[in-house]
Amino acid sequence: MIKITNLEKFYRTEEVETVALNKLNIEINRGEFVAIMGPSGCGKSTLLNILGLLDDPDGGSYLFNDIEVAQFNERKRADLRKHNIGFVFQSFNLIDELTVFENVELPLIYTGVSATERKERVEEVLSKMQIMHRRNHYPQQLSGGQQQRVAIARAVVNKPKLILADEPTGNLDSSNGNEVMELLTDLNEQGTTIIMVTHSEHDARYSHRIIRLLDGHTVVENIMM
Amino acid sequence: MLKNYIKTAWRNLWKGRVFNLLNLVGLAVAIACCTLIFLTVFYEFTYDRFHTKLDNIYQIYTVSNRAEGAEVTSSVPEPLTPALKAEYPAVKYMTRSADAGALIKYGNKELDENLHFVDEDFLKMFTFPLIEGNKNNVLSGLNNVVITQATAKALFGEEPALNKTVLLNINNVQQPFIVSGILEDISRHSSIEFDLLVRFEHYPNYAANINAWENRTHIAMIEFNNGYDPASFTSQLTPFVKKHFAPSIEILKKDGAKPNEKGDIFWLDIAPFSNNHFATNLGGVEGNPVNKTYPVSLIVIGCFILIIACINFINLSVARGFTRSREVGVRKTLGASKGQLLIQFWIETIMVCLASMVVGLLLCMALINQFKAIFKSRISLSMLLDPVTLFGIIILFLLVTAIAGFYPALMMVRYKTVAVLKGNTASTKPGKLRNTLLVVQFSLSTLLIICTIITWQQINYLQNKPLGYNKTEVLSIPVSGGLIGEKALKLMRNELKNHAEVASVTGAYMNMGRGNDGSSRSSILGFNFGDKEIRTHIQRVDYDYLKTLDIKLLEGREFNPDFAGDSTAVIINETMARQLGTKNVLGSFVPMYDSVAKVQVVGIVKDYNFRSLHEDIAPLTLTMDKHYEINYIFVKVKPGNLVASYDAIKKSWNRQYPNTEFEGSWINENTERQYLNERRLSGIFVSGAVIAIVISCIGLLAISIMIVLQRTKEIGIRKVLGSSVGGIVLLLSMDFVKLVLLASVIAFPIAWWLMNNWLQSFAYRITIQWWVFALATLLAILLAFITISFQSVKAALANPVKSLRSE
Repeated sequence: MIKITNLEKFYRTEEVETVALNKLNIEINRGEFVAIMGPSGCGKSTLLNILGLLDDPDGGSYLFNDIEVAQFNERKRADLRKHNIGFVFQSFNLIDELTVFENVELPLIYTGVSATERKERVEEVLSKMQIMHRRNHYPQQLSGGQQQRVAIARAVVNKPKLILADEPTGNLDSSNGNEVMELLTDLNEQGTTIIMVTHSEHDARYSHRIIRLLDGHTVVENIMM
Repeated sequence: MLKNYIKTAWRNLWKGRVFNLLNLVGLAVAIACCTLIFLTVFYEFTYDRFHTKLDNIYQIYTVSNRAEGAEVTSSVPEPLTPALKAEYPAVKYMTRSADAGALIKYGNKELDENLHFVDEDFLKMFTFPLIEGNKNNVLSGLNNVVITQATAKALFGEEPALNKTVLLNINNVQQPFIVSGILEDISRHSSIEFDLLVRFEHYPNYAANINAWENRTHIAMIEFNNGYDPASFTSQLTPFVKKHFAPSIEILKKDGAKPNEKGDIFWLDIAPFSNNHFATNLGGVEGNPVNKTYPVSLIVIGCFILIIACINFINLSVARGFTRSREVGVRKTLGASKGQLLIQFWIETIMVCLASMVVGLLLCMALINQFKAIFKSRISLSMLLDPVTLFGIIILFLLVTAIAGFYPALMMVRYKTVAVLKGNTASTKPGKLRNTLLVVQFSLSTLLIICTIITWQQINYLQNKPLGYNKTEVLSIPVSGGLIGEKALKLMRNELKNHAEVASVTGAYMNMGRGNDGSSRSSILGFNFGDKEIRTHIQRVDYDYLKTLDIKLLEGREFNPDFAGDSTAVIINETMARQLGTKNVLGSFVPMYDSVAKVQVVGIVKDYNFRSLHEDIAPLTLTMDKHYEINYIFVKVKPGNLVASYDAIKKSWNRQYPNTEFEGSWINENTERQYLNERRLSGIFVSGAVIAIVISCIGLLAISIMIVLQRTKEIGIRKVLGSSVGGIVLLLSMDFVKLVLLASVIAFPIAWWLMNNWLQSFAYRITIQWWVFALATLLAILLAFITISFQSVKAALANPVKSLRSE
């Protein structure tokens, strides 16, 4: 599903150029659950942003479903993104002015789904995440675990083929964290590819494979059994 | 989709309600001001539009190319109109027009009304619809009178008025007239205003002037045949002028008049009647033309205010945008396209603009009466429903939302998704655009402050400049309504003789300043003296004129009933004496009427400003010549209780003339009335400056809120490192103070140029002083500093631990 070859990314300020990704090569198959680990500043988030088509690489190739997307413009990336990729963030990134229902509905609005179908699909996914009873609440009225469940609901409502999760349990206590990991595992079992950046060895154990990054390149890959 | 946009827009607006309220208030104030201003301007520019043939009607005027410059006069001689009609087939209709007060009487009822003397063509040219009577022959009878509906109602009540006989007292002769037509009441939006129309043949001295080409007594208007191009009319008149105005041209030649590039010394020209409301050079149709600078400066100030409000809107929205960058990031991640985001933000703008519009119009309704009172405006809110105005408002609205909404929306959409999701919301750039806009705002504000100070100084100067006569204790009473001035003066003299508070009484032809009757007169006489032509203003006075007005006599004596020859004697002012140029002017005889009987100069008075301070002191001759009427009675009272004196004099007047309104006013009121336009302009500047400053400061306040938010961490670190509160306040304020300073420097030359031009219209004027600019700058800086302090002091006093921890 994903194949990156010699991927490069630099950050430049006026005087210093920092290498974030250094000729990185990774391949991820459909249906995999991959964890990306590494110390701070090793390029995990940069990698996730590029994989999620939020950022563009400075060099190398990125094949998404066998299509070269490294040179895609903003509009094409947005289009590919909204139909194929769901995001889960450490800080949830829910929109405070919208209710639970409306937050989850948002991706469907942007993909142009009709109002009746939206209602159906949002309710379905909210029930699945067991957060239906909170549908008319605003994010601040929810606990961290509930907020992350809403965020996951929002990420999956469009039935994406790939979910990118950036430290999804980072802001949660362990029981809420475990719940979130169970949810992700369920999704993966139903066929969704998941790539997760994490600091937690505990969380990483849910995945099939761990990619460890250091200074912008892969140091080791562990296959979990 | 739209519903979703509106819903989120509403919630976002509510969440940022402090910002949005500031935004809304600023814009609403601006909209209210602009609505009032543009209605006023619209009103001024749509004078007389109800005449259906407006574009084909012209006013004729004469130009004398005198040595000191071209002199334009709209007064024309009586034989001109019949001659033009006879000799030029292109002239379809032509009418003379002159006005006077007249008493109209029916039964026991008597009214003092505004009478116009016109030719039969008048009602064929101008669109004054008849309710009763036949348009084609309504003025064909010599003794017909056409009256307005209001007059008909006042005079006849419910009784039918048509074909009734009324008595008209014109110039103290009472004659019967037949009411031949009733007109709809005249729109107040008309340059021509009257209650009664009669044939021009009734104009005083009509018979005497019927062939007098040198006596110019009234104005005249022409309507050309359809399809005729009036541009060539003037040149076609050359032989006509040569034929009829030869004596006038001879006199001009003797007087040193030079031919213009076409070789003409004197010529006739036409001006579109549609522009007469602004034709200050022609004196308008009925007097009181409006100087175009007044509506134009209104437009400019309206635009200033709108620009300042839009700038606010942009700056505030951009500022607000920073706090919403994360939302933009999330939406983009979820697949929102730029277009969708643009629309979303634009809808928010439209909602704020709509709300501002509603609040603005409500404000407008609340303020309209005060506005009308201050600016002597006759606008009404129903004018908003006029299709042209309505269209203008919609265009303006779209323009404002487009300018004010689009840029901030674009800014927000451009945020880097990855960066904003990481929390890097604050742009590190100081915001060149924001600074530029701030400079523009404060330039405009400073400009208006300077204009305000200078106009105020000038008006103050005009009011306090000694004019050379007593203006505080002298009451001026217009003698109108067909009263013979001479007789009224005599009656009032007798009546007031026994009043202890009255010091002296006199009468005159010209008023001092502009009285309650609203009219102004002047009479200029030219005669040959030695080898040159002398031109002098004539003021017909009565005994005790100098004494009543405290005018200083330099040589000779005042008119005195003990000297029998005083009816042909004159008193002149210094400028006149200088113009005569001979030694021993006093006692010499001057051929003032070009006749054998010369008049003797019996006194020379110190120059005094008998005209407004727009003009220099001109040569002036005081005479007792009975050819000039007494139009005003002047009464000097003893200082002390002016109010009681006024009441006593009014009572005496009412005893003598129970049917005629007492229109007396103190001369200083009259002289102040001469500067009504200036006062109005100054009022506009003051309001403009205040509003501009208030809106600018609202914007500055919002920007300072945002800056403080952005720099919270920096402030915390500085405090931890030992910076004082004062140091931080200064740090935060300095950037803005620099901008305001720059803005002032930009405003200086523009303000100087504008005000210097304006001051040129006064013969007596102040010089612009440097400290005005300094004061304006100081004021702007002070206001900016105070505004910013609200936020900067709060930020400086905050506990740094808190701001650092939150990072």
